[in-house]
Amino acid sequence: MSRIAADIKYFGIGYLRSKTGAFFAFFFPILLILLFGAIFTATPTKLNLPVQNLDDGPYSQALISILNGTGLVNVQEVPANEDIATYIQNHSLAMALLIPQDFTKDIIARQSGNGTGLVNLTLYGDPSQSTFGTANAAVNAAVTVLNFNLTSTSPLVSYGLKSPGTKPFSYIDFFVPGVVGITVMTNSLYSMTSICASYKSRGYFKLLATTKIKKYEWLVSKFVFYSLLLYASLFVTFAIGKAAFNIEATLTPLSLLLIPAGAFLFVSLGMLLGVVIKDPESGAAISNVIGFPMMFLSGSFWPIDSMPMYMQAIARAMPLTYFNEGLRDTMVYGNTGGSMLNLSVVVLIGIVFFVLASKLMSWKE
Amino acid sequence: MPNVLIDVQGLSKHYPPNVKAVDDITFQIKAGRIFSMLGPNGAGKTTTVEILEGLRNPTSGKATIFDVDVTRDYSKLRDKVGILPQNFEPFDNLKPNEAVQYWAGLYDMKATASRVNSLLAQVGLSERKSVISRKLSGGEKRKLGIALSLINEPEVLFLDEPTTGLDPKARRDLWKLIEEIRAKGTTVFLTTHYLDEAEKLADDVAIMNKGKIVARGSPQELITKYGKMTVIVITGAGEEALKEIKRRGIEATVENGDVLVPVKDPVEMRVIFQKISGIELKAKDIYTRRQSLEDVFLNLVGAKMDEGVLSP
Ligand SMILES: Nc1ncnc2c1ncn2[C@@H]1O[C@H](COP(=O)(O)OP(=O)(O)OP(=O)(O)O)[C@@H](O)[C@H]1O
Ligand SMILES: [Mg+2]
Repeated sequence: MSRIAADIKYFGIGYLRSKTGAFFAFFFPILLILLFGAIFTATPTKLNLPVQNLDDGPYSQALISILNGTGLVNVQEVPANEDIATYIQNHSLAMALLIPQDFTKDIIARQSGNGTGLVNLTLYGDPSQSTFGTANAAVNAAVTVLNFNLTSTSPLVSYGLKSPGTKPFSYIDFFVPGVVGITVMTNSLYSMTSICASYKSRGYFKLLATTKIKKYEWLVSKFVFYSLLLYASLFVTFAIGKAAFNIEATLTPLSLLLIPAGAFLFVSLGMLLGVVIKDPESGAAISNVIGFPMMFLSGSFWPIDSMPMYMQAIARAMPLTYFNEGLRDTMVYGNTGGSMLNLSVVVLIGIVFFVLASKLMSWKE
Repeated sequence: MPNVLIDVQGLSKHYPPNVKAVDDITFQIKAGRIFSMLGPNGAGKTTTVEILEGLRNPTSGKATIFDVDVTRDYSKLRDKVGILPQNFEPFDNLKPNEAVQYWAGLYDMKATASRVNSLLAQVGLSERKSVISRKLSGGEKRKLGIALSLINEPEVLFLDEPTTGLDPKARRDLWKLIEEIRAKGTTVFLTTHYLDEAEKLADDVAIMNKGKIVARGSPQELITKYGKMTVIVITGAGEEALKEIKRRGIEATVENGDVLVPVKDPVEMRVIFQKISGIELKAKDIYTRRQSLEDVFLNLVGAKMDEGVLSP
């Protein structure tokens, strides 16, 4: 026991004195939270919607004022003498709305039963741009309102927004567990592989083998140290998220259980990789090959459901996915059952890695 | 056999496909001595030492320390053995006093401040005990390594090339430290490829080459047995002097204008000097050249050794 305590203490002192250690444990998650929080929680400014109005009747004017009234967009006039496609290109516009010539005239013709077909507006733009969705929604809403007004009916069905949990959540709430996941993974996996590599090349494992500490004691010590470190990191990150963005996600007891479980899993995986690593260079390469895809594909930054099916299958094979989902289940959705299931998956994979690592890792020749 | 502390019998270590790193060596080391295994790079020194430290399994043969089989029962020896590995580097971000405390913990020992201080004083690191280890000099790092190896007050201390790569001052510092450690009764197993180091420190030397022990004994014994004779060198005396000396019945040769007079038996030395002193010589200097382990090594291995590298 005193061997483990001594190892935790002095390994910890050395670790925290190394700048990379402190960076990945504290600076990195705080940076992520502040950065993504700032991007996604800022009150959305109105989108500028360029509109070229070739019509000179009252209905196009009505449409424009309805558009402005949605609160989503701010209509900007595109000169009528410009070719709209060229104009969009020359001004790098994400979208623009074209109100055709005779818009009012055609509507009046339809109203009196003379016209054929619908009167068409054209929304130019690139649907892959996130702002396009907003513009599309605004135009859609404005057209609907105009239709109701023109036909003198009023809408019967409406809907409001409400999140399924007890409180409303925002992207930052989704993101916080993801940051915790990344932090747990990078700290334990990356640093364990690099530690194993440098211990091998510097002969520390051999040196340790001649002392009284046992291999499993050393492994346990690493697990305890990283659990403590990650708790500290979690509390700091969480406090900052709370202070800066008033996040609604909560630190539940299950999330506090998941932290050591995640540390256990990734410390063990790091040591397992350390078995095959020969030198520090290959150590960095291997942890990147495994850690980097995991960082992006395990639902830390965006929901797994939003990815193509084959990517989802890959994500299912990554241990970080279960850790992230376990955290999100309990911290955001309040789904205790789901979280416990994910927790058991994490612990189970962790046990497999730990047993393999302590069996395969040799301190001697 | 009483007094024998380390007993190595027919020890071999082969690496595939056909490297005989250690090739059937047998030797014993007595307690309280400094034993030096002397040999060039790749001789098999580290392999031998690490077998004795329980870190490698021999292909065949057996080694015991205090009658304990190192391969099967090394754990029984942990309290009695101290180790400084080759190329030791301390933990970068720990200070020497922390490193000592850490190591004590790994041996289930409580390191009191006074114990830590006295250990660091012993190796000469008192003033540097609060410096982050990565900022220590090469010699200081080795001293810290020795402090760690002494934490369990070992009866046997393995030092694998403790002075390699250090400057002369740092080497002399370590030599002094090693002699002090021996003076306290600790048996020291020292590997080196510095002949002067073995000659200065060791009571007992084994010269190792290509996995085999090619000679064994105290430095003096080895010099007597394998060295050439002591030579009286008369510098700048030339052919003329050679003739005069030979006329008096003394064997001699000329080399680069110097006359060399071999002394077969130290007893003859006085007689030879008396005879020579009667001759009028144009000598610049007269001195005797003692043989050293360097000559022994050259004779045995057929090559000189510089920083562990052999050159013909
Ligand atoms: N793990 C290994 N696998 C294969 N060959 C090895 C291994 N370890 C050592 N050898 C070989 O065994 C021989 C002896 O090596 P060893 O390290 O014991 O020499 P040494 O006397 O300590 O040399 P140095 O002065 O360079 O430290 C060398 O030829 C070396 O290449
Ligand atoms: Mg060696």
